[in-house]
Amino acid sequence: MKKMLFLISSMLLCLVAVVIAQSAPAMASRRVVVYDNIATEVAAPPTTFAATNDDLWVTLGDLTRATKFALKPQGVCRDELCFPIPKARKSAFLSAQGKITWFNLSEFARLLRQPAAHDASLGEAKDAVWFFGPRSEEQNSFVSSLMAPNFKLPDANGKQHSLSEFRGKKVLLLTWASW
Amino acid sequence: MKDKNFEIVSVAEDTGGIKDAGKWIEAAKPEYTVLIDEKHLVTRLYDMVNVPTAVWINEKGRIVRPNEVAYVDDRYKGMHKLEAAEYLNAIRDWAANGERSVFALSEKELKERLTPQNPNWAQAAAEFGLAEYLYHQGQKLASIQHYKEAQRLNPDNWNYKRQAWALSDAEQDYGTTFLKEVQKLNGKPYYPPRRLPETKKPEVKKKN
Repeated sequence: MKKMLFLISSMLLCLVAVVIAQSAPAMASRRVVVYDNIATEVAAPPTTFAATNDDLWVTLGDLTRATKFALKPQGVCRDELCFPIPKARKSAFLSAQGKITWFNLSEFARLLRQPAAHDASLGEAKDAVWFFGPRSEEQNSFVSSLMAPNFKLPDANGKQHSLSEFRGKKVLLLTWASW
Repeated sequence: MKDKNFEIVSVAEDTGGIKDAGKWIEAAKPEYTVLIDEKHLVTRLYDMVNVPTAVWINEKGRIVRPNEVAYVDDRYKGMHKLEAAEYLNAIRDWAANGERSVFALSEKELKERLTPQNPNWAQAAAEFGLAEYLYHQGQKLASIQHYKEAQRLNPDNWNYKRQAWALSDAEQDYGTTFLKEVQKLNGKPYYPPRRLPETKKPEVKKKN
């Protein structure tokens, strides 16, 4: 019986130790990417590979997890969309560190003319956050197509509605606020 | 107006979501669709800079009047000095006459009014998005500097100012308030002017 208790308690201790080990460094500085309004936590590059500026380097796995873009022979691609990496500046985008290849998501944003904002204040939550806005041609597509950008939002009961549901009717789209 | 194939889609641009917008929706008991936009998505998609702002969209999903200040009653007329009646009449005319309405812009007229987003504004939108993310994560202090950066990069965007001030002690965190900023304008409107054409007089048939 005693042996059993000892086993259980030591297992519990191990579990606690594992949890602490995992959460402690994460608490110190989580790295969060907000892309297409979705937040994803990503791994930090090794300290031996310290980027000299605020650029965000991610693993190729994290690149796809956070942005749905993937590195392919023809470029960085998502579905039909592909952006070739300028050959002369390849090292600004990709860096092999040991077995892992790191990708500079900030440099990629500059290539796509995609606005990005960064918070390194490690404020209350001790997170470093990178926020990426829409690509310029995404944002401006309605200026040439003249078509109203579609969106999906909930009503007060949580039911989702798309603007496109109202196709076939004239729509007065009206924004307001409580403030 | 439902019989004329006309719908109102009203969107609350509130970081606080239903918590802030809910009591207004309850009080209005609207018969039209009211959506909650905690992330200011519509503001960003349509590049809007103030509330209330409206866009007119035709049956095919094409914009026929872009962003425009849209007071539909005279509650705050003291501040903005815009007649609601004039605008409501324009909406009624369009609802009844569609593309034939003088208020519905042709593709050519619309192209003249729509311009690609200024890169500073795009950067401001990213700063605002980051501020909103931080605020929702409970990182209020960190959010303030990014709200300020958004306001600096796009000083014409009153949504960035008014939303940030409303989430804060504006006086303490931003050194100003909405009322103070409006007073500073000294009577100048804080909306781009409305560009409604003069309503056509009803045609009088000439006697032959």
